[in-house]
Amino acid sequence: MTRKREGQVTPPRWAEWLLRLTLKRADRESVSGDLLEEYRDTVVPARGQSRADAWYLRQVAGFMWRATWVWAVLFSGAFVIRQAVDFFIPTHEFYVRSLWTTYTAIALLAATSFWSAWRSGSFIAGIVVTIVMTQIAAVLSVTGVTLLLAIWHDPATLKAAADSGGIEEAYVMPFIMIVPALIVGTIAATIGSVGRKVMRVDGV
Amino acid sequence: MADVLGAFEQAVLLAVVRLRDDAYGRAIVQEVQARLEREVAAGAVHATLERLARKGLLSSRLGSGTPVRAGRPRRYYRLQPAGIRALNDARAAVDNLWHGLKWPLIKARTTA
Repeated sequence: MTRKREGQVTPPRWAEWLLRLTLKRADRESVSGDLLEEYRDTVVPARGQSRADAWYLRQVAGFMWRATWVWAVLFSGAFVIRQAVDFFIPTHEFYVRSLWTTYTAIALLAATSFWSAWRSGSFIAGIVVTIVMTQIAAVLSVTGVTLLLAIWHDPATLKAAADSGGIEEAYVMPFIMIVPALIVGTIAATIGSVGRKVMRVDGV
Repeated sequence: MADVLGAFEQAVLLAVVRLRDDAYGRAIVQEVQARLEREVAAGAVHATLERLARKGLLSSRLGSGTPVRAGRPRRYYRLQPAGIRALNDARAAVDNLWHGLKWPLIKARTTA
């Protein structure tokens, strides 16, 4: 089905919504306008609408990746380091380690959400970007843990992994981070978007 | 010499030079694609434009929109004196590297 608005074909609305969330407030109109112009003037006539939509989604994914990859690498890095410490320096007392990991995760989630909400001036952007970040980080974390276990899978390491919560936890936990991302992200995004208004960054 | 420009940064700055008064986001992406002869992600070009503007190599202003853009404004870029210096430095660095060599190279030396 052809989507038309103002007499012209349009990319998927949800994709355009997602794109606008990843952009700085000052660039939101101009950059989304550039992509829309390219989509309508060049890509749809050359490739047809369904392939043009795929092109548009790739562009949005590129913007989303650029908005999240640094945070995702930091977040997954913290997770993989924690797993490596548990695997190679076994202990029965996990309290201090858990405390460090928890506070690091909260700090990174809050920073991602605050930064995204602040630069876009959008509360929703803070939450959505943080959630997407955790899922990219989850894929990176699982890859990292798999590499660790592919290189070091001697009985002692596997026992340490089992004692620290099990290998299953290492594969499931990163994806569950979507829940704290929602909670911490909501608080930090509120502070970021309200802070921008209070500080009158946009001169309003 | 300040920061040395990367190849992609040079491609973006040279696109702005070539496009003169028409140097806005989409046109720059197209110009970079044409010169590099490959598809380039719009996000990569916009991130580079933002970084170059932050370094003071480019300035920008908003222009009017068109119906095909749903009335959204275009952001036009202009090279600043620091950008001109950076491009000249980058060109001089490449010329220095090639000084005394014939181009194109006919046969690469494979033995010491």
